[in-house]
Amino acid sequence: MEKRLIKKDALAGIAKKMADKFLVWAPVKKEDNVLFEPLQKNAEPNFAYLNSKNAPKNVFFPHTETMMKYTRTPKGMVFSTEENKAAESVLFGVRPCDAHSFVLLDKLFDQEKYKDGYYITKRQNTTVISLACVKPPYASCFCTSVDGEPVSSDGADILITDIGSDCLVEFITTKGEKLASYFGDAKADAAADAKKNEIAAKAKEAIKSKIPAHEIKPILDKNFDNPFWNTIYGKCLACGTCTYMCPTCHCFDISDEVKGSDGVRLRSWDSCMFPMFTKETSGHNPRTSQKERWRQRAMHKFKYYVDMFNCIACVGCGRCVMSCPVNLDIRKVVEDISKL
Amino acid sequence: MQNPYIPYPVVVDKIITEVDTKDIKTFRFKFVNPEDEQKYAYIPGQFGELSIFGKGESPIGIASSPTQKGYVEFTVQKAGVVTTALHEMEEGTLMGIRGPLGNSWPLDFLAGKNIVIVGGGFAFTTLRSLINYMLFEDNRKRFGNITVIYGARNPGLLLYKDELVEWGKRTDINLNVTVDKGDATWKGREGFVPTVCKEVAPSKENAVAVICGPPIMIRFTLPVFFDLGFSKENIITSLEMRMKCGIGKCGRCNVGSKYVCKDGPVFSLAELDKLTPEY
Repeated sequence: MEKRLIKKDALAGIAKKMADKFLVWAPVKKEDNVLFEPLQKNAEPNFAYLNSKNAPKNVFFPHTETMMKYTRTPKGMVFSTEENKAAESVLFGVRPCDAHSFVLLDKLFDQEKYKDGYYITKRQNTTVISLACVKPPYASCFCTSVDGEPVSSDGADILITDIGSDCLVEFITTKGEKLASYFGDAKADAAADAKKNEIAAKAKEAIKSKIPAHEIKPILDKNFDNPFWNTIYGKCLACGTCTYMCPTCHCFDISDEVKGSDGVRLRSWDSCMFPMFTKETSGHNPRTSQKERWRQRAMHKFKYYVDMFNCIACVGCGRCVMSCPVNLDIRKVVEDISKL
Repeated sequence: MQNPYIPYPVVVDKIITEVDTKDIKTFRFKFVNPEDEQKYAYIPGQFGELSIFGKGESPIGIASSPTQKGYVEFTVQKAGVVTTALHEMEEGTLMGIRGPLGNSWPLDFLAGKNIVIVGGGFAFTTLRSLINYMLFEDNRKRFGNITVIYGARNPGLLLYKDELVEWGKRTDINLNVTVDKGDATWKGREGFVPTVCKEVAPSKENAVAVICGPPIMIRFTLPVFFDLGFSKENIITSLEMRMKCGIGKCGRCNVGSKYVCKDGPVFSLAELDKLTPEY
């Protein structure tokens, strides 16, 4: 597909122009963090960011969302279906690891049977523009170990790569191509392509943190009961931060809230790190301690998801590594498993 | 696109208190929109989410058989928030049901075989669905001998008492009802389910055992069937887990690479052996 060149400082202007017509999610500075938020008028997107504090999964899978509404009548509650619609949106400037996470989440939410309309509608109505990591931002980045690359178009409709003088804009999908008019008319030449490939190779080289993520699947197949699982969870506080920050974690709760005569049914993020997650009414809990919960997290990402969808449910963004209050490092866990 | 999270509106048509302790009731629902009954076409062994607005949802096995037209029934024990609210409901109340969810009893696998059904206590509900399905006149010839062994702690805790009497009159079903301990009026069999299974000693020839009950019953019943020569492929059961979505997304009932809600709740022992023991 077509490729174009734009000036490096043109990005913010393009995002703002798109915001006149679409709901544009862009990286915005909030106190000490950069977060993906709907771009407000007069707000300045920050494309010089490293990566957003939170994964942008909330664009398709909000922290809390209304599934349906209902009203109390003398005969009981009568419900009205929440119209499942999403504004035409652009997710502007996500990192390739996070764009990769959307491909992984699609496999769960957009299965042949039981399609999740809430997720799918937002996903279909959103154009994803990835902003390549020409300089991988953190020492904890390990995307290259989990099928990713710092300059990758996986999950993106448009990929933008800073090639020094200009930015190379590649339209990956027809959905991305529909936004071509926003990116000027300077066609990219073969030299720009060559430069990008050189930068991509260098960026890949720069990812120093490597884990044997693919090697551990056959080991996990056989080591559900290994005493190793007793050794990793001791310091885990069950705070759930890792799952909250994770771009691929997707477990959720469904709850009801009533105010006066009106109520809503909501879905909100939940976490396999919480004891209540699996606790049954009888009091029985299949995952009795943090050991089972941590094993679940590791197994789900590196074995169960592979069994189900033939891909690892980790994109190597390193958020869980950076955010864990007790430095429980998934990279170390994977490495230790590889030695079992 | 049908939204699987949105319940079908139903009205509580009939409430039957099943047991002396009054904490297990059967709820018969009728669809507010008659065309929804078609959409709710189910197979014995499937479950539904009972949806009470303002309280939440509870996954419960379907107790009626698809051969019973015009309504759908669930037998529910009063236990948590949702089931307590349900037990307080009156006939005529509006609520919702989602589903049908999960796989089902493997009817095609069961067809042409002798069926041994073993149930204990409250876990008899989806077995009742299966029995009524097989006994339905159009279906009966598709199955071989039907042997049922059903036990409860005492006579007052037996479910579906009227149906048990009706089944007992039939010649095309070998019904064995037992209680751990009888009372002054009990004239039937006394004894634990595993013991009765040993006494009845169903043949393994061309037979499948479908077993549901409390863990303690399962633990002592399985060795009886192994001794009778039943293979793990020919012993089928149904799991329970905490669930929310019911369609393999929310993550709660994930056991190994399966979701009990979507890939189960029905598994053979051979299949369970391949799962991680986390249920």
